[in-house]
Amino acid sequence: MVLRLSKLVFALLAILFLVVPLIAILPLAFTSSVILTYPMPSWSMRWFTELFTADAWRRAIINSLIIGSGATILATVLGTAAALGLRNRLLRFRGFFRTMFLLPMVVPAVVLGVGMQVLLARVGLINSYAGVIVAHTVVAVPFVVVSVSGALAGIDRRVELAAQSLGAPPVTVFRRVTLPLALPGVLSGAVLAFATSLDEVVLTLFVAGPNQRTLARQMFSSIRENISPAIAAAAFLFITVTLLAGFAVILFRSVLARRR
Amino acid sequence: MSGSPTRTGRSLLLLAPLFAFLVAFFVWPLFSMVSQSVSDTAVLRLLPHSADVLAAWDRLSPPSPAMQAALMEDLRAVDDAQALGDMVRRLNSAQSGFRTLMSKTTTALADTDDPPADLVSIDKRWQKPEFWLAIANALSPLTDRNLLAAVDLGRDAQGAIEHLPPDESVNRVILVRTFWISALVTLACICIGYPYAMIAASLGGWKRDLMLAAVLLPLWTSLLVRTAAWFILLQEQGLINDLLQWLRLTDGPVPLIFNRTGVIIAMTHVLLPFMVLPIYSTLITIPGNLMPAAASLGAHPFRAFLRVLLPLSLRGVASGSLLVFISAIGYYITPALIGGPGDQMISSIIAFYAIGSANWGMAGALGVVLLVATLLLYSVYARLSAEEPGRS
Amino acid sequence: MAEFIRFDRITKFFGALCVVENLDLSIAKGEFVSLLGPSGSGKTTLLMMLAGFESPTSGAILVDGSAVNDVPTHRRDMGVVFQSYALFPHMTVGENIAFPLQMRGVARADTAERVRRALDMVQLSALADRRPSQLSGGQQQRVALARALVFEPRVVLMDEPLGALDKQLREQMQLDIRDLHRRLGLTIVFVTHDQSEALTMSDRVAVFNKGRIEQIGTPRQVYDEPGTRFVAEFIGETNLVEGVVEAVEGQEATVRLASGLRIVSAVTGDLAPGGPVHLSIRPERIQLAETPAEQRNCLETEVADSVYQGDHLRVQLQNAVHPLVAKLDRRSREFPPGTKVYAAFSSGDCRIIRP
Repeated sequence: MVLRLSKLVFALLAILFLVVPLIAILPLAFTSSVILTYPMPSWSMRWFTELFTADAWRRAIINSLIIGSGATILATVLGTAAALGLRNRLLRFRGFFRTMFLLPMVVPAVVLGVGMQVLLARVGLINSYAGVIVAHTVVAVPFVVVSVSGALAGIDRRVELAAQSLGAPPVTVFRRVTLPLALPGVLSGAVLAFATSLDEVVLTLFVAGPNQRTLARQMFSSIRENISPAIAAAAFLFITVTLLAGFAVILFRSVLARRR
Repeated sequence: MSGSPTRTGRSLLLLAPLFAFLVAFFVWPLFSMVSQSVSDTAVLRLLPHSADVLAAWDRLSPPSPAMQAALMEDLRAVDDAQALGDMVRRLNSAQSGFRTLMSKTTTALADTDDPPADLVSIDKRWQKPEFWLAIANALSPLTDRNLLAAVDLGRDAQGAIEHLPPDESVNRVILVRTFWISALVTLACICIGYPYAMIAASLGGWKRDLMLAAVLLPLWTSLLVRTAAWFILLQEQGLINDLLQWLRLTDGPVPLIFNRTGVIIAMTHVLLPFMVLPIYSTLITIPGNLMPAAASLGAHPFRAFLRVLLPLSLRGVASGSLLVFISAIGYYITPALIGGPGDQMISSIIAFYAIGSANWGMAGALGVVLLVATLLLYSVYARLSAEEPGRS
Repeated sequence: MAEFIRFDRITKFFGALCVVENLDLSIAKGEFVSLLGPSGSGKTTLLMMLAGFESPTSGAILVDGSAVNDVPTHRRDMGVVFQSYALFPHMTVGENIAFPLQMRGVARADTAERVRRALDMVQLSALADRRPSQLSGGQQQRVALARALVFEPRVVLMDEPLGALDKQLREQMQLDIRDLHRRLGLTIVFVTHDQSEALTMSDRVAVFNKGRIEQIGTPRQVYDEPGTRFVAEFIGETNLVEGVVEAVEGQEATVRLASGLRIVSAVTGDLAPGGPVHLSIRPERIQLAETPAEQRNCLETEVADSVYQGDHLRVQLQNAVHPLVAKLDRRSREFPPGTKVYAAFSSGDCRIIRP
């Protein structure tokens, strides 16, 4: 009994520790005060107005969308192709390729940032949209590879063999059978890639110029230099977007699960 | 299925774009960083003639007229003030007094009305072999100076490795601090994560789903948002201090932000999911009848835990700890925003050298240290997770 | 025999679901009792309650005269053999078997000796240093058995321990376990859903249905004298026909079937005429002939199908009203489908089942 009670208390405290910080920040997005503390004097939408009208924030949101879309497209195309290539179990150096494709997730962002800055400066891509998109793609691509590989692993090879035996040439098998079955994996990989780009700060710090300031980068310097409730409004936006993205991924996964 | 050549070819064709992309924008940047840390052309770039002449010098005798003439020719040809500044800084760090000597020399050389005959006539110090030795040593295009400095080592005049004086030994402090903070965060994650995973694995239905959702939610949320959230909670007028004062646990606000406590709390929150998930996934693969079996064989629940559940879930704990530790040592954002000056970790110092003071050599060298540590730990992790569970 | 384990009016609910209902059962020392029933009949739950993994909603469990309801599992001193063995995968065979002795603080030398003897007993001495994952299913089974016996528990509980083995191995293990039971004088409670396993091994069989014991008795009793329709159908194969008791004369009763056909059956106990009953006739008791036989019951019928099954001949009979199944000796002559035959059986081959 005592054990069960202490388990319950521990679980509740741990859940609070995990969740409360995320919830605590949300109401502050609607404060009318200029300082980011409770209690809030009254409710107001002024910080959302600020977010969408103040030049720095608006610019940052637009930049995030541009860079996020670019990185998502690039990462999804490259990552999906690579996952399809990795599917061949008989391929030599398969493990090597796989490790290499996942390594950007492991290498500390600051280390990659230093290298990226040196290299992009050398090839003239520093302080350009292309440079930031390339940098974000590098860290986003592992998520696509993992997600698509997972979806492909779930496809019963016999379904493709059946299609072949029914007279479909390889390209048709891919187009009519493999790709539709892997599509939920591709889509959730794309969502994860976008989320990664949206949240990326460190690489952006190293390779982006003032014109490519992203929302995350803007939040970072805002917390550092002049903290204001605009951050809470931006966080509110972030949480809403990621929750929607999360639902999307869960939806794709359940489609995937239902097909099996 | 056969590994037919066409199939292999098709697979390679599909892999090639990403492979090429990563070679160009992942491997090459890392390689550039490493080469940046060992390259040292600040002196060689400006003194090509001196390099030729100094190669024949015995490194002991006083400078020959040819050496002086070559150096004078090189210095006259310099038209890039910033490059000159880099070189002087480089030489001054090897031999103090170079800064004044150089400025005196360049001024004298710039005087075209009355050109000096040789360097010794400008300043007597040019007679001393030490200054020439410093130049000779700095001419090599490769150096281990940055790498050694990254761990607070240097070379003395004879080229032997020595410890840097304490006032220059900041990196080792930061390395130790990085590992210490990471270890504390890992420990905190184990202490919270293991019981959490154990409770979640013992439950079923919506309770288990709730506990897993509580872990996944932060993982899904932006790192920046989570850090901002902790900023709000931990600040002096933040919710935690309000709560503590309302509970009468403290009279004034407790400093929680811009110090070690805040960094560890926020990092534990951020990294906890990486501990819970691997432990949880090993716990649920443990057959449910082992603990009842241990009980039926006479084991008290605590002994059954120690002898059965803990050894079987140790792999999950090891994976989780490595994952948390690897992530923690590379952390930048959270210490940068929540920590004080005394809590900055190696990433912050790298960023400082790279962005703040444009010292690419040092940034690269510290980056190499961090990269090597990360890759070593990751290889252990990869081996651990590749091993089939349940086999000895 | 003296009562050793006693379930006293045990009821167990899982939420709103009643899995064991007001159940009484006594087990004597040294007895081998099987709990037999379909899945969900409550037999495993009863075993789990005896082991202490579950506690009854109401009622008491007594072992050796004292209630064990509040004794935690690890102090109950009962050896449990689990359905999937539950061997500790991170310990060797020897360590697995030593585990219960270590938990009891047995001295190291003594432990080693007892582990050696236990391994000898199950003929696995050569495999002491292997891990469970390196053993075959049958070997794992024997390790589990050795582990449950090595600490000489008061009672050994087995939860479908042979379910995962193939047929041949299972039959071998049935004999081995029965042999151990006799040699060591163990008290064994054995849960199974396999009726032939229960009949082979047990001193007594308790047939479970929907949380209750339908019948308990020796294998011969539950097979030859099923007390209820459920028992008659669950244990072995049988022909069940419905009818009304027309007359009772001494040890025999005449039952009239719906078709008007009359069957004479042996009776035990009181039976009043006029009541509806079921008749159970085991297929192997029916004899077939082309001419009427000198038996108490002789029905005219027709062969619908006849299948040779190696050890016996299975004949599907098609009477106008009651389809019957007969099992004949493998050397009997085969009747082609459509042959008119007479199905004969004595009154003693019938069993009246009261509603």
